[in-house]
Amino acid sequence: MKLFSKVLFAFFVLLFISSCAKEKTATNQFRVALLSPGPVSDAGWNAAAYEGLQRIEKELHAQISQIETKTPSEFEEAFRDYARQGYQLVFGHGFEFQDAAAAVAPNFPKTVFITTSGNTVRPNVAPMVFELEHATYLAGALAALLSQSGKLGMVGGIEIPPVTSTFDAFEAGAQSVKPDIKVNRSFIGNWEDAGAAKQAALALIDQGCDFLIHNADAAAAGVFQAAAERNVLVFGTNKNQNDVDPQHILASCVSNIPAAFVEMAQLVRDGKFEGKIYRLGMPDGVVSFEINPQLQSQIPPAVMTRLEEIRRQIIAGTIKVPSKV
Amino acid sequence: MRRPTEILRQMALWFLPAMLAFVSASGFGALLVSGFGYSPLLVFSTLWEGAFGDAYRFSETLLKTVPLVFTGLAVALSFRTGIWNIGAEGQFLAGALIVTVFGVKAANLFAPIFFLLTTIDIFLSGALLGILAGWLREKHGVSEVISTIMLNMIVLQFLGYAVHGPLQEAARTYPQSDRLAEVARLSQLWPGTRLHSGVIIAVLLAIVLWLVLFRLPFGFRLRVIGQNPHAARFAGINVSRHIIAAFALSGGLAAIGGAIEVAGVTGRLYENISPGYGFTGIAVAMLGRLHPLGLLPAAFLFGALESGARALQRNLGLSSVLAEVIQGMTILFVVLFETRWFRELLNKRLNVK
Repeated sequence: MKLFSKVLFAFFVLLFISSCAKEKTATNQFRVALLSPGPVSDAGWNAAAYEGLQRIEKELHAQISQIETKTPSEFEEAFRDYARQGYQLVFGHGFEFQDAAAAVAPNFPKTVFITTSGNTVRPNVAPMVFELEHATYLAGALAALLSQSGKLGMVGGIEIPPVTSTFDAFEAGAQSVKPDIKVNRSFIGNWEDAGAAKQAALALIDQGCDFLIHNADAAAAGVFQAAAERNVLVFGTNKNQNDVDPQHILASCVSNIPAAFVEMAQLVRDGKFEGKIYRLGMPDGVVSFEINPQLQSQIPPAVMTRLEEIRRQIIAGTIKVPSKV
Repeated sequence: MRRPTEILRQMALWFLPAMLAFVSASGFGALLVSGFGYSPLLVFSTLWEGAFGDAYRFSETLLKTVPLVFTGLAVALSFRTGIWNIGAEGQFLAGALIVTVFGVKAANLFAPIFFLLTTIDIFLSGALLGILAGWLREKHGVSEVISTIMLNMIVLQFLGYAVHGPLQEAARTYPQSDRLAEVARLSQLWPGTRLHSGVIIAVLLAIVLWLVLFRLPFGFRLRVIGQNPHAARFAGINVSRHIIAAFALSGGLAAIGGAIEVAGVTGRLYENISPGYGFTGIAVAMLGRLHPLGLLPAAFLFGALESGARALQRNLGLSSVLAEVIQGMTILFVVLFETRWFRELLNKRLNVK
């Protein structure tokens, strides 16, 4: 029995010690937390959110905390835990956090819950949606101004509103400068199959399209290959992809996720937050259209001036870019 | 009639290896965190606060225990029968998928019929996966370790297809199903927390499985097969049939766990519904010494670790991977303490003849 009682004794000593530990008291400092759906070391989606959080710490002098939530059942728990600790702002980095935010929000009116994309709105819950449409509109205009054949092509992953919406804007941008331009779109049905994306891109090129845009995530590699093979120009989307193929990627439509985080945190800190869908686009500096410096020479100065004018109008709000999301 | 002290000693003997394993693993965890420059005392007190700090944290610990009980039971039953069912993960997902199909598409059925149909189909989904692996093993000599792991992949991919295709929400925006109808949701037990009636089902099923395994002839035959299939065959037991039955029961148990996770906690089907409950279930079953009632505290311990690990990351910025390391170390130590060398040492110390 000796060994057993020793172990038991040690266990209770540990219990006693641990129960003596007290939780830290809440401070008046601005506190911001992030729920990421994956590791923040992923050099992509989650890393961008964490960079945003770190900028909030530095620029807004906030106290920050981050937790990796792997499954939906952890979302609600994590939201609740941060809210209980008095965090004023909690980000859920993805559409999948909407339900959990809406479920927790009524119990914690002093905490703001923001999801990255989504459409669930409560007095203290809001999604932030990136209006990549501002940039694809510009891409459409630029492509239409430069196109020889008068035909443009779009390759998408899955036909969902966030993707078709960027294509609608591309089309609208093209038609705004050349009303008779033809724009063909093609969807491959997934986000990974670069081979299918390449075939879709080649088919569009065969139809006479001399500019391509994609919104196909990882499968876009196939679009870039097709463009390189047939020597047509393409646009990158979501992040700056100009370096992927500097000879064929004319420009990229970029959403700056960290900037969006800082923007939203600032609103919440200054008490200007409202429960509504926040559309963050070019006027907020969150979405930008980055022209590849190596191909800048292919754009005549007259076209450049025209492009700048459209950009100004989008930022000023005089051009209404169509958006479904 | 045995004396109470004798019973206590037997129980201590039974639990001691598992407890020692956990304490040793925690010791290694403490060394590890000191290596990263954290105070082990602070880390463990945070763990404790996160798991049991107040009523809400405690409810979250229970919540995390539930799926582990089901996958643990599934694994314990199969391991007892001498089959290495590594497929609890896939069977868990299959159950989650089926409950979503019924909860979204067939919720307007007459309620008793709905429950009956749904429950049977949930069980069948896991059972059929198990039977497939069992049939491959018994008829074609395919190792069930390989087949069940492969089946996990197939179910996972199928689930991905479902939430991108036929089961995707009506709005067609995100890869998730619609919310389950109210009738398909489990009732909440404790207002202000997420604790649902699945926790009761888990305990009941553990008791049922204990009765089956240790009080019914069928369970006895399963255990005989697990101990020595040749002896079982010699004693006139139809080994193949029993093994396939064990595969089916094991798969069915895991599937019910998956269905309860959707019906009780998330209310929707997503691709990443399980963070590997099926695999953690193996660890739970081992720590619970493959005993349906013994694995209840084991599942609770792992639930507490998971729950506490959240607090580690939240309050200290320490990666929750640490909890996984402690879980892994616990298993290694269980294996060590199950060796004959340790058993003999223990018996000598406790004066057991």
